[in-house]
Amino acid sequence: MNGTDAGPPDVDLDRVWLGVAAQVWRRQPGWLERAAGRLLRSPGLARALVITPSLLPGWLIATGVVLVAGLLATRGTGTPYVPLVAPAVAGAGVAYAYGPGTDPAWELSRSMAVSDRMVLLVRALAVFGLNAGLGLAASAASGTAVAITFGWLVPMTAVCALALAAATVSQSSDVGVAAGMAGWVITVLGARVASGRLIAAVADARLVLPYLVFAAACGAVAWYATRIPRGNT
Amino acid sequence: MNVEISDLTRRFGRTEAVAGVSLETGPGVFGLLGPNGAGKTSLLRMMATVLPPTSGRLRLLGRDPGSFRPRREIRRRLGYLPQSLGYYPGFTVAEFVEYFALLKEMPPGQVPRAVATTLEQVGLGDKARAKLRTLSGGMLRRAGIAQAIVNQPELLLLDEPTAGLDPEQRVAFRALLRDLGQRATVVVSTHLVEDVGAACTEVALMERGKIVFHGSPAELIARGEDTAAAGDAPLERGYSAALAMARSATPTPAVTKAPTVTKAPPA
Repeated sequence: MNGTDAGPPDVDLDRVWLGVAAQVWRRQPGWLERAAGRLLRSPGLARALVITPSLLPGWLIATGVVLVAGLLATRGTGTPYVPLVAPAVAGAGVAYAYGPGTDPAWELSRSMAVSDRMVLLVRALAVFGLNAGLGLAASAASGTAVAITFGWLVPMTAVCALALAAATVSQSSDVGVAAGMAGWVITVLGARVASGRLIAAVADARLVLPYLVFAAACGAVAWYATRIPRGNT
Repeated sequence: MNVEISDLTRRFGRTEAVAGVSLETGPGVFGLLGPNGAGKTSLLRMMATVLPPTSGRLRLLGRDPGSFRPRREIRRRLGYLPQSLGYYPGFTVAEFVEYFALLKEMPPGQVPRAVATTLEQVGLGDKARAKLRTLSGGMLRRAGIAQAIVNQPELLLLDEPTAGLDPEQRVAFRALLRDLGQRATVVVSTHLVEDVGAACTEVALMERGKIVFHGSPAELIARGEDTAAAGDAPLERGYSAALAMARSATPTPAVTKAPTVTKAPPA
C-alpha cells in the first residue's frame, strides 16, 4: 500500500525481534527440572542434573533390563542374584555420572560458577538414590528374605564410593567402572570362598562396618581429588 | 588490571608447559601467539580457573582464584571457549547457550533475552532451534563463542576461536572481538597471525612456556623489518623473526613494553 511502508518512528524493530525471539526460543523446563531447581536453589544445577548421562532413558532401560534378568534368575534358581548384581550396576552408573569423556563439555563446565564438584555430588547422589530404589523394587519382587533385600544397600554404597573415587582420581569413568566391578567381584568371590555361600558378601552382618569404613574412606578420596588446590596466590 | 600474572608456572610431570610467565593487561584484545606446544592453551586454562598453577601469582578481575568465593565471582564474569569444546548433540543451539548461561549463575529472568541477543550477535539466529548435531563445524564454533559471551563477560578467553570459520565469518568475528574489547579484556590464543593483526591491540608471543615477545602488533611487525625472516605478510615476518631470536642461543631482550602493560619482566 502506498504511504504505509514506514512504521512508527519510535519502534526499535531489532529490540522487538529480540523480545520475540527470547520468548520463542526459550526452553520450558519439565516438572522434574523445576522441582530440582527449587530443591537445589539453582536452575543451572537442576539442568546439569537432568542431563546426567547415567540418568538418561537409554541407561535407565539398560539398568532395568539387568535387574529384571537378575529377578528372573533369582526366581528360577532360588539364588538371590539381584543383591549381587545391583551394587555393580549402581557403581557403573555413579562412575558415568560426570567426568571427561562422559560429559561432552566437561572442560567448559569446570570454568563455571556452579562448581563441578557440586555437579558431581548432586549427580552421584541422584544416580545412587535411583539405583537403590530400582534395586530394592527388584529385590523385593524376587521374594528374597528381608535381610537380603536390604542387606546389599551397604555394600552398594561401598562399591559406588570405590567407583567414584577411582573415577575422580584417574579422571576416567572407565577406570571407575573397572575398579567398582573388580572390587565387587573380588569381594563376592572372597566371601564365598571364606563362607561357602555365594550370598555371603551381602548377607553377613559382620561385613557392614568394614563396608561403611571403606565407603567413607573412598568418599574422602573423591572429595580430595575434586578439590582445587590453594596456593596459587 | 583485569589480568595480573606474576612468574606463573605449570608442570605436567617433568614437562614445564608454562615456565614463569608474567603479564598484566586491562581492557582490549590481547593476542597470544606461538607455535604448537608453546604453552598457550595451558596459560589460558589457568586463566579460565580450570587448571591450577604449579607456582606463581594469578589475579583475575582483581580477585584471587585460589579461594572459593572469589573464584566463583570470577567465573560469573568469565567467558571461556576451550580449544576442543564438547557439544551435547541433543541440545538445540539456544538450549546449549542457555545451559551455560545458567551455569554462570545469570539471573534466570535475564537468560532468554541474553541468549537471543547473543545468537543474533554470532549470526546463529536462524539456527537457534536447530539441534547441535545438525550444524557444521563453523556453526558449532559460533555456538561455542555464543556461550562464552552470553553473560557479557569482563574477561573473555578464546582458544583458537576462528578455527573452522570461513573468511566472511572470520571478518565478522574480528569486528565482534574489537567491539567486545571496548569494555572487556579479551585474550585470544591463535596461530593465525592475521587474526592478531586485524583485531588485537596487544600481542604476546610464547615459545617453550615463556613469553618471548610482548608488545603491539606494530612492534611485532618492526621485528621482521630488514630481516630474512620467513612469511608472506609483515606480521608473519615479525612473528618468525621474534621466534628465531628467541630460539637462538644468544640472550636477547625478549620482552618489550606495550602501552597498556605496566609490568613485563624479561622471559
